[in-house]
Amino acid sequence: MNVLPNSDGAGLRAAARRGLRRGRDFVDETPPDALVTVTVAAVSLLAAFAGFLAASSLTAVPFAVFLVATGYGWLRHQELTARVLTLTTTVSTILVLGLILVFIFAEAWPTVQYATVNVFGVPIPGLRLFIETRWSPVTPPIQYSLVPMIHGTVLVTIIATAVAAPLGVAAALFLSEIAPKTVREVVKPGVEILAGIPSIVYGFIGFTILSPWAADQFDIVGQGTYLFVGIVVGLMALPTVVSVAEDALNSIPESMKSGSLALGTTDWQTMTSITLPAAFSGVSAAVLLGVGRAIGETMAATVMLRGSPGLTKPLYNVFYGNDTLTSLIAANYGDADGLQLSALFVAGVILFVTVLFLSIGSQYIEARMRQKLGGAD
Amino acid sequence: MAQDSKKFAGSVSRRQFLVASSAAGVAGLAGCSGQSNSETDAPATEETETEAPETTTSTPEETSESSAPQMLTAEGSSTVYPIANKGSSYWNSNAPPSDGEYWGTSDESTVPGWDELGAPDMRLADYFASLYGFEPTETQANPAFATSIGLSHSGTGCKSVRDGLVDIGNSSGPITAELGISEDERDANYVDHVLGRDGQPVVVSKDVHDAGVTELTGEEVRQIYQNEITNWSEVGGHDQEIYVVGRAEGSGTDTSFRLNMLGSADASMEGVDTRKGQNQQVATVVQQNDGAIAYMALAFTGPEVIPVGINFEGTLYAPDKSAEHTIFDSDYPLNRDLHQYTTITEDTPSGTDMREAAFMNMFLTTFGQKLFVEDNNYIPLPDKDLQSEKDKLPSQA
Repeated sequence: MNVLPNSDGAGLRAAARRGLRRGRDFVDETPPDALVTVTVAAVSLLAAFAGFLAASSLTAVPFAVFLVATGYGWLRHQELTARVLTLTTTVSTILVLGLILVFIFAEAWPTVQYATVNVFGVPIPGLRLFIETRWSPVTPPIQYSLVPMIHGTVLVTIIATAVAAPLGVAAALFLSEIAPKTVREVVKPGVEILAGIPSIVYGFIGFTILSPWAADQFDIVGQGTYLFVGIVVGLMALPTVVSVAEDALNSIPESMKSGSLALGTTDWQTMTSITLPAAFSGVSAAVLLGVGRAIGETMAATVMLRGSPGLTKPLYNVFYGNDTLTSLIAANYGDADGLQLSALFVAGVILFVTVLFLSIGSQYIEARMRQKLGGAD
Repeated sequence: MAQDSKKFAGSVSRRQFLVASSAAGVAGLAGCSGQSNSETDAPATEETETEAPETTTSTPEETSESSAPQMLTAEGSSTVYPIANKGSSYWNSNAPPSDGEYWGTSDESTVPGWDELGAPDMRLADYFASLYGFEPTETQANPAFATSIGLSHSGTGCKSVRDGLVDIGNSSGPITAELGISEDERDANYVDHVLGRDGQPVVVSKDVHDAGVTELTGEEVRQIYQNEITNWSEVGGHDQEIYVVGRAEGSGTDTSFRLNMLGSADASMEGVDTRKGQNQQVATVVQQNDGAIAYMALAFTGPEVIPVGINFEGTLYAPDKSAEHTIFDSDYPLNRDLHQYTTITEDTPSGTDMREAAFMNMFLTTFGQKLFVEDNNYIPLPDKDLQSEKDKLPSQA
């Protein structure tokens, strides 16, 4: 998901510019047979793509032409062919991701339309998804409110951030600034290996051990609490936060710290007033990455939560955990149809938009900090 | 490949039978098995041999086939399919009694109900076929007659058996509804065999059962699922809030529970605390939590996930196979019969010929009920129904 915003924004424009420039270059400088080869390759790939979309049985023909043309071009005009190939891969990546996006939005539309409300005679599509609080796909009145799931996602994310951010930043600070070199060299790779543990492992531990234990200890009716899902997801995000934040702290030039120390500050004063502020963009990017993981975390949330959407009472009650946006999709995709299926796509759209803004936000912070501190990274 | 060779073996053995019957008349079965034995050793030479009699025999194939045990065919409902198909697979491989996993007993395991069958020293299909007068073949993957189960819909299965396209029509609904015929027409033309049931017993966690809740009324279950009863003390249990577990909203299990237990397919279920998609998850959740109630496939119940009796309008359906009314009965509201229909014809006035009887009888044993019905998450028949189903089959040899 993190690739999307990049390729949609700056990447798209850059790709287009590159394409245009290359296009002019080809016509001006290249020998005609090379031009013909790459044109044939590009057009046949496009035709293969169109054939694929139309589910045509002839798709293989233009694709074979593309392979032959590329193979010929690779032997005769390698540099040019390589340039065209990289361009086409960029374009097709964007095209495929764009089509997926269009598909998700198109699938989500029926439910958005179903949830239209007239406000002073002006129909606002999708408003009922956010002003109602009842998810009821079977019992009339049929309502597809996403408020309970958004509430769940927000609670889980807040708890996960509260776990991952302080622990992660503190651990990164220790590893980068305080720990002896040997400790860092052992612990850092160890932490990075932890990041690779599949989320179902955490979810499984949560489902079989933590959840029943919590239900017992806190005298909850049944198992499944946002609190423990948040803690588990926070622990899952921790290695990522530590690793990225440590990289950011480590990239602060030694000269800045030495300058500070030369002025007579202690190590701690240097850390808090020079190193941390200078690496703030990187550290906040690390935290946002962790938050992104918390929002998108599916497996652990699905197995640990209850899967029966509803708001907790009171709203800040984290001892009951019903559903998040991701677990709603994961738990219901097999049985849902019609509007309910479409409502799951709406949940997907909301997740996509959230992660998009998170990504833009982290890039914005980074840009601001770079401006302010003058090339800290 | 394996399937191909199996088919090949099946067809060859039938041809062999034709040879035998044209040469030696009715005593052909013995010849069939004897020649099949040699054939497995040298299939290539046998192939040339089998070609010859077909060209030399002058009798039309139709007449000679009527005396041969043809392949038993069935098709229909996807709900009945897992039961019938698993049974058919076991039948076709004709495992030896030393196998242990699929038939008989070995050092590592014994199939369920083995002692009850009297531990016969015969291969699987050989044993069940011999009960109805077929000669054992004593060869792997080569039973007295092969079986084949097709997959379509209940309605298609009923039509196929009506039109004589298959021997057995599998249906999850009654044939009267599938074909739109009257009950008299059904009784005149078809025999209804029930090999298992599809249903969802209501289960509770161990603490609830220990506190004395061993049966509930249908009304109480409805009230629990609709949030009108929230504590076990209201239904005779201990003071513990009820943890209500349901199934994924809109799934088939969820819909049939609403329909049969709560009154309508879109009945409210506001009492549900947790919804899980799979039987395993439901079982684990019930096992891990106090005060839980759920409904799920019988195969996942155990000492910590205990089925309870349900009292519907004065009739207590007990979770005990030998009781008068049981949760395995067809009139238990959460159950439906899984039917296999056979046709009454001039040749088989009883409606069930020997091949059909031999095959179906396999399902009516503890062995068949456990492996083919319960292990596929369906409900095995209670004792009295097993008996009445066996009575529908012709008498054993």
